[in-house]
Amino acid sequence: MSPSPADAPVPTYRTFSNPRALRWAWVVGAVVVMAIGLILLLLLTQSTNNREMYERNYARLFAVNVVVAGVLLAVITWMAVRLWIRLRRGKFGSRLLVKLATIFALVGLMPGLLIYVVSYQFVSRSIESWFDVKVETALDAGVNLGRATLDILANNLADKARNASGQLSGVPDAAAGLTLEHIRDQLDVSDVMLWSSSGQLIASVGQSRFLLNPERPSPQLLRNVRTQRAVAAIEGLDDVAPMLGTELPVAHIKALALVASKGVGSLAEPRFLQIVQRLPSPLVTNAMAVQTANREYQERALARNGLKRMYIGTLTLSLFLAVFGAVLLAVLLGNQLARPLLLLAEGVRQVAAGDLTPKAVWQGRDELGGLTRSFADMTQQLHDARSAVDQSMSQVNAARANLQTILDNLTSGVIVLDAAGTIQSSNPGATRILRVPLAALEGKALAEVEGMSEFAQGVHAQFSAFLSEQIHHGLDHWQQSFELNATQSPFSHDAITLVARGAELPGSNRLLVFDDISEIVSAQRAQAWGEVARRLAHEIKNPLTPIQLSAERLEMKLLGKVGEPEQALLKKSVKTIVDQVDAMKRLVNEFRDYARLPAADLKPLDLNLLVQDVLQLYEHDTATVHVVAQLEGGCPMILGDAEQLRQVIHNLLQNAQDATEAARQPGTAPSVILRTQWAAAAQRVRLVVLDQGTGFPEHILKRAFEPYVTTKSRGTGLGLAVVKKIADEHGARIDLSNRIASGVVEGAQVSLSFAIHLKVAT
Amino acid sequence: MRPKWAVLSWCVYLLLCYLPFAQAQSTLVEINQMQIERNDSGVFFSANLKFELPSLVEDALHKGIPMFFVAEIEVLRDRWYWSDKAVASQARYMRLAYQPLTRRWRLNVGPTPMGNSGLGVVLNQNFESLADALANMQRFSRWRIADTADIDFDGKSHAEFSFRLDVSQLPRPFQIGAMGQSDWSLSGSRNLRVISDAAK
Repeated sequence: MSPSPADAPVPTYRTFSNPRALRWAWVVGAVVVMAIGLILLLLLTQSTNNREMYERNYARLFAVNVVVAGVLLAVITWMAVRLWIRLRRGKFGSRLLVKLATIFALVGLMPGLLIYVVSYQFVSRSIESWFDVKVETALDAGVNLGRATLDILANNLADKARNASGQLSGVPDAAAGLTLEHIRDQLDVSDVMLWSSSGQLIASVGQSRFLLNPERPSPQLLRNVRTQRAVAAIEGLDDVAPMLGTELPVAHIKALALVASKGVGSLAEPRFLQIVQRLPSPLVTNAMAVQTANREYQERALARNGLKRMYIGTLTLSLFLAVFGAVLLAVLLGNQLARPLLLLAEGVRQVAAGDLTPKAVWQGRDELGGLTRSFADMTQQLHDARSAVDQSMSQVNAARANLQTILDNLTSGVIVLDAAGTIQSSNPGATRILRVPLAALEGKALAEVEGMSEFAQGVHAQFSAFLSEQIHHGLDHWQQSFELNATQSPFSHDAITLVARGAELPGSNRLLVFDDISEIVSAQRAQAWGEVARRLAHEIKNPLTPIQLSAERLEMKLLGKVGEPEQALLKKSVKTIVDQVDAMKRLVNEFRDYARLPAADLKPLDLNLLVQDVLQLYEHDTATVHVVAQLEGGCPMILGDAEQLRQVIHNLLQNAQDATEAARQPGTAPSVILRTQWAAAAQRVRLVVLDQGTGFPEHILKRAFEPYVTTKSRGTGLGLAVVKKIADEHGARIDLSNRIASGVVEGAQVSLSFAIHLKVAT
Repeated sequence: MRPKWAVLSWCVYLLLCYLPFAQAQSTLVEINQMQIERNDSGVFFSANLKFELPSLVEDALHKGIPMFFVAEIEVLRDRWYWSDKAVASQARYMRLAYQPLTRRWRLNVGPTPMGNSGLGVVLNQNFESLADALANMQRFSRWRIADTADIDFDGKSHAEFSFRLDVSQLPRPFQIGAMGQSDWSLSGSRNLRVISDAAK
């Protein structure tokens, strides 16, 4: 499938080529019309000179010229109207075009007008000068001379004929021939004829004798002869031949005279003598020449006005053609000249409006073309520069967005302050750490924010110190830790420990970066405390066994050797010592356990199996409170440390049994329920322990997981703390609540939900 | 643009000068006794004209310049569906000239146009006066225009006769000068329905 030539070319090419083709068409059309006009004009001027050839076509040529001029005029009018409309609309560039066209038209018009005026004068004067009164008089005189000469000759011949007719008066018709011959010789004429009154030829001598049908005189002529006795006429002086191809008849004088009859009564018919004499040929030729010249002169004199009109009309028409052509060319050339300027101006306007698309270039080798090319190059450079700026801007923006994302997702808090301590900006980390909506507080001083005044003062003091010392020490930042909402309890969740670092930003702004190290501090604290507890437990535990053994030995040795009252005292005292030592031992063990709690070793395990394993210990228990297991089958494996979870279950069951037993009404048999549940929607396995005790008081419920908080008369308060710690290690959620049925507390419930072991992860 | 108006007015003036639309004011030729007859030898036309030569034409004649006249007759057959069909047409060309040398008038009559070069088959007549020559020109008597068979005398034909001074045979500068001038125009025409004598 090859594209045909008629296929549309590339649009950009088209926009450039189309006006160009149009323009070329215009130019060619104008040139053709002007060429036709010029040729016609040439023919027209030729036709005034060469009469024979162009006489016939003059009018036609003139008409065609007029039509061409009319076409040109129409085109010019159309152009003028279009230009005017453009001017009225204030279309860009029309003023320039009008100016150029006017200049060119004037340049074309002026010489044409000058030549026209001069030629007009010249033609009218020269035509007038052809005609002269003297020439006319001379020609007239020549004609008169010829006429007079011919008249004299004719009269002469008429007289001769009259005289000769006397010789014939007595001669009968039959004998006339001889007399005629005599007359011919006597008068030296070419022909002599005798006619009867009815126009019958009686006799003839000379050339005409051989004519079969000689021209007979008309009755009119014969009548004239009767009255005037003799008449002469000149014949054969025709300027045109009667028949095509025949020669002009020889010019001759015909004289006719009445022949008087001799009879008295004169009853006899009169006869007519006709004498024909040839005219001398030089005379005829000259006379004819004069006549012809006279006629032609008269012709021209009469046609003078027409001739003048012809010349002047031709001249005027040529002026029109030239002027119209000049104006047309002026408009076209003006257009040509104005176009690159308009192109340039249009480009400038576009650039001013911010349009930096590539500009059209005028294809020409002149300066204007160069100008448009330079302009296009300039625009291109501008475009390149702007796009480079845009690109770097977008890069900067991307970097900023990048930075912003980093800042937003930084766990550290970042605040930018000005010199007065006003918040300029902050990141979400700062909001999270300080628990204050800093983003909404931008523009406010940090000191004005609730609960931040101390922090702000500290920061301000640090900055002041930093700025004053910076010069001496050349430090680029300061670092300091702060404690916000400081309370006595190390386990309080409100207390925030920060490590803040400050630096100076360009523009006298201050950068404040801080990290929440509360958890680290608390972990460190817990660890230290655990270490202390462990050592203390060890130190305390060591003497406990000897104390117990000593007390038991003392009882054993002294039993029965002392008196009854002393013995009772001894028994009671020893029992007290042993019990207290036991209690102390348990306390120490719990301390140790809590402190020693190792990191959880998470492995997949079946919670149900573990629960069953633990419950074996409680089956033979003699306790009054039984443990009831409600295990849901099909629980997936969870991730957990079996030992630690075992302790959790022990602790929880112990607590539940203690609580239930303490609240036991006599005669009832309450039980503790241990339940496992599989929550498929949350993908978690729950372990719930329910008791029927007194439940948690309100103030305990909130702080149940803190160490040394307990409801039991004897207990370290570490049980739930250990559970909480283990649950945290397992990432399990722990919930503590009272069981409330119709407004009455029926007991407490502790639930742990564990994340399941995902098989994919193994 | 002022020059443009000047140009326009000039152009209009020129057109006015050269367009021959003033011919309506020409000297009219009166055509009397126009009739068409037929007999076995053909169809004949007769008429009497009446006109005076315009003074300019007469002046020119007296100065020896020949003048040309044309008489044309055309017989047309009516056609309702198309323009009328020309059945027969004849023309008579006349050249009238004055010879200053002999003071005589000469009339050449022929069926073809004649220039100054040759007259063709013509009839030559000499007259002593212009009046005689004109009288001869003005009388058309038994001019044979067609064969008997060519024309039906059923009232469905009509004859168009015209007579005029033929300016086109004058020298060209004359024509340009003469164009649009009533002094140089002489013409007349008449229409006649062709009806047989019996129907009259």
